[in-house]
Amino acid sequence: MAEPGLPAAQRAPALVFAGFLLLIAASAAVLFTEKLGLGPASVRDFYLGSEARFTEPRSLAGLLETAVPHLVAIPLVLFAVSHVVAAAGALGPRAARWLTGLSFALALAGVAAGFGVRWVAPWLAWTKVAAFVGLEGLLLGWALLLTGAAWPWPRAASGARRDLEEPGRQRRRGLEPTSAVHQERLGAGRLGEGQAGRPPLDHHGLG
Amino acid sequence: MGRARAPVRAFLCFAALAVASLLVQRASGGALAPAEVELHYLGAGPGEGLPRVALWEELHAGAFLYGIVLFMVGSLLPSCRLRPAVRRALYAAAVVAALADLASPFLVVALGGGGAVRVATTVLSAMALLSAIGAVLATFGSGEPAGGERARG
Repeated sequence: MAEPGLPAAQRAPALVFAGFLLLIAASAAVLFTEKLGLGPASVRDFYLGSEARFTEPRSLAGLLETAVPHLVAIPLVLFAVSHVVAAAGALGPRAARWLTGLSFALALAGVAAGFGVRWVAPWLAWTKVAAFVGLEGLLLGWALLLTGAAWPWPRAASGARRDLEEPGRQRRRGLEPTSAVHQERLGAGRLGEGQAGRPPLDHHGLG
Repeated sequence: MGRARAPVRAFLCFAALAVASLLVQRASGGALAPAEVELHYLGAGPGEGLPRVALWEELHAGAFLYGIVLFMVGSLLPSCRLRPAVRRALYAAAVVAALADLASPFLVVALGGGGAVRVATTVLSAMALLSAIGAVLATFGSGEPAGGERARG
């Protein structure tokens, strides 16, 4: 397996983006809890209205007001983060495909479930909750992967620490011997070139 | 790099427009006057302030906008003909200003005042982001990055 990681110059923006992902996920969790509630029953009440809470069923305009920006924002965020994590080699191609597909599927399910609860079947409130919780978990996972791809910082990334370990010990830890990675990189002439399943990174580090 | 210049610049123009529009939108709502800011968040009397959920909505939308713009600008800066120290300063200022701007509504509510803080973060975040975007816009792809530091680590 090739040594994962982003080029030094791309680490700061990746870490910043990971931080903002966490902010987005945390604020989404607060908003979901405050507006829709914690369980399927309160989610159902939110969309269908509740006499006890003196609320009306949600209108199409009201649902679209939330759905439209999310249909732009969530795919854009998922595209950016999955692209960087995959380009950094922080995940294998198969795992990256699965995680990306699952993230997009949960995002779509989350947006669609609101309309489903309102106009198709109230039990879809379970789908809404499951999709939201799943997407929150995946956002946290993406943020961690992004942090992992950006870590360590440039000084450590120069290989100074890993170079101290002999190749056999590195293999036991599941790492490519550093000398082999250096040889591969130097031989290819460009970062990432010649590594199986990993396209070369351009100046932006975005493949 | 040459092929990337046009779409990158087009993206940056839109990003600059988004930041400028946000500033104008806020300014038209009184965000440049501390008293107006305090009235907006705290209300005219007890219990009339903005609901807490509205503060989180503001944070949610702002984190998306700032997150994407800062990520893109930060990724492009290493390919700009700017001194590394200038690049770092521009980016750090933009990140700190954006975070301060996201936190300032909560600060106003927690302090029960301090509208000037929100005014300052509104102006500083816009200026810092516009400076970073402008720097990338002016120098992206115009030869090798300055200072002997290449984008690739």
